[in-house]
Amino acid sequence: MSDALKKVAIVGVYESAQARRLNRTPEDLYKEIVLGALNDAGLTIKDVDGVVGGNPLLNEGEGRGMPGSVFAEYFGTELRYSGQALTATQAPALGILHAMEAVATGRASTVLVAMAAATPGFGVAGGDSGQSVSGDQWLSPFGLARVGYYGMFAHRHMHEYGTTPEQLARVAVNHRKHALLNPNAIMHDRGPITVSDVLGSRMIYDPLHLLDCSPVNEGGGAIIVTTEERARSLKHPAIRVLGFAECYSAVDIFHLPSITAFDGNGGQSGRDAFAMAGVTPNDIDVAQISDHFSISPIIELEDLGFCKKGEGGAFVESGAVELGGKMPINTNGGYLSHSHAGSPGIFDIIELVRQLRGEAGERQVPNARIGLHHGVGATYISAQTAILARD
Amino acid sequence: MSEYQKPLPTPTELTQPFWDGVREEKLLVQKCSGCGTLRHIPKPWCANCLSDDYTWSQLSGKGEVYSYTIMHRAPATSFQTEIPYAVALVELEEGVRMISNLVGVPIEDVKIGMPVKVVYEHVNDEAALFKFAPA
Repeated sequence: MSDALKKVAIVGVYESAQARRLNRTPEDLYKEIVLGALNDAGLTIKDVDGVVGGNPLLNEGEGRGMPGSVFAEYFGTELRYSGQALTATQAPALGILHAMEAVATGRASTVLVAMAAATPGFGVAGGDSGQSVSGDQWLSPFGLARVGYYGMFAHRHMHEYGTTPEQLARVAVNHRKHALLNPNAIMHDRGPITVSDVLGSRMIYDPLHLLDCSPVNEGGGAIIVTTEERARSLKHPAIRVLGFAECYSAVDIFHLPSITAFDGNGGQSGRDAFAMAGVTPNDIDVAQISDHFSISPIIELEDLGFCKKGEGGAFVESGAVELGGKMPINTNGGYLSHSHAGSPGIFDIIELVRQLRGEAGERQVPNARIGLHHGVGATYISAQTAILARD
Repeated sequence: MSEYQKPLPTPTELTQPFWDGVREEKLLVQKCSGCGTLRHIPKPWCANCLSDDYTWSQLSGKGEVYSYTIMHRAPATSFQTEIPYAVALVELEEGVRMISNLVGVPIEDVKIGMPVKVVYEHVNDEAALFKFAPA
């Protein structure tokens, strides 16, 4: 653990209801999660002197500007720090790091990281117009949405390593099983699914079926980071970030030497985060790894070293990643069955904090002490790994 | 011919020679004058040696399917009547990769490693697309 990160702790988390449609304004949802996370921490709005992340208040009439200025005006406070606002899945994890760096360097004392998505529109992930991030001309004339990349990742993984559609389906089955234990998961009341259900659901981006894909839905979440000193007087045990690392590879898949890895060629962010934290994959009690599509966790488990390259499918099929297995992942139900709202990485961090505090109810991993979050993107190909622990 | 409804390429100054080449039924990529590395998609400099100098080099148009997906969900309404259709990441024999549709092959016969060759579709008086068909 770096000396700087030792001075900082996560002390508050909050997650709103998650639903296909919440029928409320983004502003109203944002206010709820801000106050919810502060209440969880035992702090008030006057304690906040920094913010990170996308702020829906900015999108309504304020245009694109300084999130800190808008926050200050709407909440009647004054800030000393306003972190970068990104929109990617992994943005909240990076937001936590920015918040921790701001607190560690004394630029702020209490920083809020929040993500609220309550804009109209729902369906299957990837209803985009087929634009390549490198420019419209390379994908849209051919009718490829960027999310189709995940189909290409999956086919190549199946070709190189013999991964099967049944193994992909098992990811969705496992995460649904976990969602049934999480009252806030959007699929909580939808009942279990089987491998046959997944394989029998309609094909979307071959080899990915409807149930291999995350839904698009609404919801929000927020996290409070403060100083280690302040954390000592607050009600919850402080959660530390032991290690954090990133890896950036390419914008689009044309340039990747391998499309069966997200985290560089050899799991760079994972390796760096483990080294910073001074732990190994064997020390991780619970993990939240991005599962926009069922292929992703299979590749990520390999990248992180939880199993050998090419063995992700068999590792999932063995039951190792289920609650009760040796490496439970996505205990909240993941993006597939809990929530894929906005930048859903926020829910990964929130779930880890709850697991490490022992607040995860029926889905609690017994004696969870160290948790890992790994987020990936297949456009703007990148990976981030965060390792969290309870004091 | 009836009006073409699907999205057309929107070339930039940098990519215009590529699309001009497609209209002339040539598959062109940038070749670095510094180190000889071929690159697609076009960039102002070489990521290998950072040289700004390049020429356009014609590929054979032969390659193989590196990976693919079958789109069963149209990303735009103009593709609604086409689904399901194949989109492949093709590795050309010179080493660069390109994405395009696979045509002239039933979707159930698409396989990684299958040899393909470039074909051209002149979709209207001004634009042409490159696609791949079994070699």
